[in-house]
Amino acid sequence: MADDTQLADPPRDVIAPGYTFGSITDQIAAVVLTKRTPVFWMACFSVGFGLLLLFLWAVAMLLAKGVGIWGIRTPVMWGFAITNFVWWIGIGHAGTLISAILLLLNQRWRNSINRFAEAMTLFAVACAGMFPLLHLGRPWLFYWLFPLPNSMGVMPNFRSPLVWDVFAVSTYATVSLLFWYVGLMPDLATLRDRAGNRIARLVYGVMALGWRGSARHWSVYETASLLLAGLATPLVLSVHTVVSFDFTIAIVPGWHSTFFPPYFVAGAIYSGFAMVLALAIPVRSVYGLQGLITGKHLENAAKVMLATGLIVAYAYILETFTAWYSGDVFEQAAIWHRMTGPYAFSYWALITCNILLPQALWFKRVRTSPVALFISSIFVLVGMWLERYVIIVSSLAQDFMNSSWGIFHATRWDWATYLGTIGMFLFLFFLFIRLLPMISIFEVRTLLPQAKVEKESRP
Amino acid sequence: MTSASLDFDIGSELRAELRRWRKRALAVGLLGAALCAAGFLRAPFQFFRSYLWSYLFVVGLSAGSLAWLMLQYVTGGAWGVVIRRPCEAAARTLPLVALMFLPIIVGIPNLYQWSHPKIVAADEILQHKHAYLNVPFFLVRAAAYLGGWLLLSWFFNRWSAAEDRDGPGPASRKLAALAGPGLLFWGFSVTFMAIDWVLSLDPKWFSTIFGMMFMAGQALSAMAFLIALMALLSFRRPMSEILTPRHLHDLGKFLLALVMVWAYFSFSQFLIIWSANLPSEIPWYLARMRGGWQYVGLALVFGHFALPFALLLSRDLKRNFKLLAGIAVFVLFMRLVDLYWLVAPGFLRGSFGLSWLDFAAPAGVFGLWLAYFLTQLEKRPLMPLHDPHLREALEHGRE
Repeated sequence: MADDTQLADPPRDVIAPGYTFGSITDQIAAVVLTKRTPVFWMACFSVGFGLLLLFLWAVAMLLAKGVGIWGIRTPVMWGFAITNFVWWIGIGHAGTLISAILLLLNQRWRNSINRFAEAMTLFAVACAGMFPLLHLGRPWLFYWLFPLPNSMGVMPNFRSPLVWDVFAVSTYATVSLLFWYVGLMPDLATLRDRAGNRIARLVYGVMALGWRGSARHWSVYETASLLLAGLATPLVLSVHTVVSFDFTIAIVPGWHSTFFPPYFVAGAIYSGFAMVLALAIPVRSVYGLQGLITGKHLENAAKVMLATGLIVAYAYILETFTAWYSGDVFEQAAIWHRMTGPYAFSYWALITCNILLPQALWFKRVRTSPVALFISSIFVLVGMWLERYVIIVSSLAQDFMNSSWGIFHATRWDWATYLGTIGMFLFLFFLFIRLLPMISIFEVRTLLPQAKVEKESRP
Repeated sequence: MTSASLDFDIGSELRAELRRWRKRALAVGLLGAALCAAGFLRAPFQFFRSYLWSYLFVVGLSAGSLAWLMLQYVTGGAWGVVIRRPCEAAARTLPLVALMFLPIIVGIPNLYQWSHPKIVAADEILQHKHAYLNVPFFLVRAAAYLGGWLLLSWFFNRWSAAEDRDGPGPASRKLAALAGPGLLFWGFSVTFMAIDWVLSLDPKWFSTIFGMMFMAGQALSAMAFLIALMALLSFRRPMSEILTPRHLHDLGKFLLALVMVWAYFSFSQFLIIWSANLPSEIPWYLARMRGGWQYVGLALVFGHFALPFALLLSRDLKRNFKLLAGIAVFVLFMRLVDLYWLVAPGFLRGSFGLSWLDFAAPAGVFGLWLAYFLTQLEKRPLMPLHDPHLREALEHGRE
């Protein structure tokens, strides 16, 4: 598509042999346009829905009683809320990397996984957005974060990275939504044309915004998606860079470190690819999509995980070395507290999950085994959550003066809110799988060898 | 087009041209070296300062090319095949680079405060750091970096020659298998090299991103050099039949990406240190933002980032050999300015200064290095004969 010559030599194993244009459409559309719903879907959706109700309950309690029901006490005022925010927003990054950066790099294997990875981005950003809002204490005044000259003439402090966050995350959510929706339009039209049910035809038809698949439509579409990819690419770096500034701009020991921006971006992509694998592996086997999301995809994702995991490992090593090398007693104490203090268990668990276990990905046998990959990606997701938890909580709990130290204990409402957003994520994701094509039909078709023949026969 | 129908040996015209370039480089290098020798006798302090950043420049070219060589094995694909031989040749200059470290050893007392026991004894932080910053350990580490790169270069060149001789087989697999761990070693060695050789010039200062900045800098220097070289080679056989705008376009994208990465790292470090304004960190920037140095810093913002960034966004420009090579040479020049800005202000607190040795040293070091590089480049065919991606790479160029 974007690059004609690549068609001359399609990657052999990003799609199983034997597919035709028609059979691809049939298989992907059938997941949506069927009346039968697999038991697996029902089970996952129920879990998600149940946890979503838990989330609503936790939020209702929070609004009724205030943020005091969480474990946040001076000095640890960030606790779970910011940990979860950073974790969720990081998970979203893989979707944008796959959809935007890999498009610009002509990595055609992305065509099979970009749709659901982008959906994952949207839902992860939605979950992430919950936490800073709820953490405000009075979320109904959230619009004070925007530079609106309100009645008191108060403007946000533009030197505060927390304000940069508002812009970074809202831009990210907007561009991701646009990119995802524009990519959906041709497939929505396919569903419109295939749906037997009148209501479904009407709904998909309205959502397809009059897509007829004319040459003119396609030409405009190609330009639009390249432009959106160009816009989304800097966002992969900028959003988590700004999130890292939330920490580095402060002078808290263990936070104020110059390599946080690239280290956070690498960690975000690391956890994002782990989430892509954790979702793709069960879903593709339940729906029999192994011919479209092949072992090649899983292996490529595993390689990205290995590379970003090594950057994260580099960061831990350098962080420890620099704390010693700086000669700064507070920096040294911050690392020492992490390793031996009240959060030592979390720290060593994070090292195990994030660094030690994923080294298994060096072996091809692990990279080509879906079960092993699923297990490693769960470990990485846990490890990356622990990483943010340790950075936030241990640095705040024990900073410059031991007279102002205090230990953070999560309450059940902390856990309820966190598990609740996982429920919200699962709920939205499984709704998406049921109602929209989870793989981009028209983009996967370009991976077929037939696409090449057609091109060569043209004058 | 099949690989069998192509002759990858250096044509006679190209060989003559490379010899001419080598002669020029050697002349400039020898002149620079002679001036450096005079400088060493007359103004040893100034000589070592100028020599250090000039030396870091050629280290970046060699080790950076080694990193590109390993990266193209790790990622596979067609883009790396055309630069494999120049990267290998640049990696083979590492013995010369290791030899060029000798003046730094002589210059340790002139360059590094932490090497003076009296200064260390008077300062608590330096005593704390003494376990790391001491002359014997410094030398052991330098030997480890240079030795590690030499070893990697030796393996990659040896197996690549075996691949040329015997066809794709065990050698190709060994090349791919060593590349991943090799890149890991490169990352760590460049990080600690940056800490040892540059960051420790100001023994109180520290910054965790410093090593990454040097990785980006080395990769950028090497890519700019490779692009300039490819443009030079593209006018004569055999590369005139192989190299197309598509190949250059790929390399131009890498140049653009690294210009951005360099700016991203540099700006992150600046913003974080500037906003915190801590007494342990800010002096490093104060020395570089006053007394004339701020204009060098601004020149970096425009010349090392804004200008190449804006130009390289253009697709047509990345496909034009001469224009792209022009930008690459300019970026190489800005790399020198960047290294100068990193090293020199620490010695000249408060006022800008430029010595005649700041011209003689880079000319001498780079001239000799280039002459040696061209000697190495001539030794082998300009394309790997049996690279698994060779066919793909040749077809890649034909739209």
